Amino acid sequence: MAESSPVPPASSPVPLDDKRASFEREALVHLDVLYRVALRLTGNPSDADDLVQETMLKAYRAWEQYEQGTNAKAWLLTILRHAFINEYRRRTRHPETVDVDTIEPFAVFSEVQDEDPQGAFFDKIVDDQVLQAIDQLPVAFRETLVLSDVEGMSYQEIASILQVPVGTVKSRLFRARQLLQGKLYDYAVEMGYIKGTPA
Amino acid sequence: MNCRECVEHLYEFLDRELTPELEREIREHLEDCPPCGEQYDFEELFLKFLRARCKTQGAPAELKKRVLRELFGE
Repeated sequence: MAESSPVPPASSPVPLDDKRASFEREALVHLDVLYRVALRLTGNPSDADDLVQETMLKAYRAWEQYEQGTNAKAWLLTILRHAFINEYRRRTRHPETVDVDTIEPFAVFSEVQDEDPQGAFFDKIVDDQVLQAIDQLPVAFRETLVLSDVEGMSYQEIASILQVPVGTVKSRLFRARQLLQGKLYDYAVEMGYIKGTPA
Repeated sequence: MNCRECVEHLYEFLDRELTPELEREIREHLEDCPPCGEQYDFEELFLKFLRARCKTQGAPAELKKRVLRELFGE
């Protein structure tokens, strides 16, 4: 296994009931977040279930290493992401062929500022369509965008989960948002929600 | 602060990730520059829209049961 957790030192045994109680209190409460992120990373509910399950098992085994009262959500998401990279990306063999850091952003605002500067066309786009558009983003953009815009994490937290510099988070987030806007704009034009010309 | 710099930092401003000094410069620019102000409103709306559309989903009840079963044998 890629991430075997070391055996906790014999000098600091944690009573099982305490371990369970603290794990329930600090880790299990983040199940919804983990599931949402897993779903966006894997792209389907069954793999998302497995990924969350695996994450929780690994987290429980390593629970002694977690410093209680610190950022459990970020700690869990780091484990989840490692598990995703180790298992799923290797298994699905979909290496990213695009160098995400060279993708040129497209400013939707400049396209719509005359016709719909308030972005009213967004309101016509339903949940499923937005999620589908997110799922089409390169994974490096998708994970950054989901952690920031769905889960509301700070640049610093995201940088530590993804193990990249804060500047990379910033630039990926910028591009991810612009790319997603472009996809939603194209969809809105296609559906006739806005006149425009497809990006 | 010119328009290009303002737009470049717009997301960081919306995410409250700027230094107080830069934040103040952007705020001042937005007050004086209607086009940048419009873009600010547009991007703010987009981020709110995104959160609202994606946040509705939670873990299925069955998954929670499965996790508890696996961890604690329940």
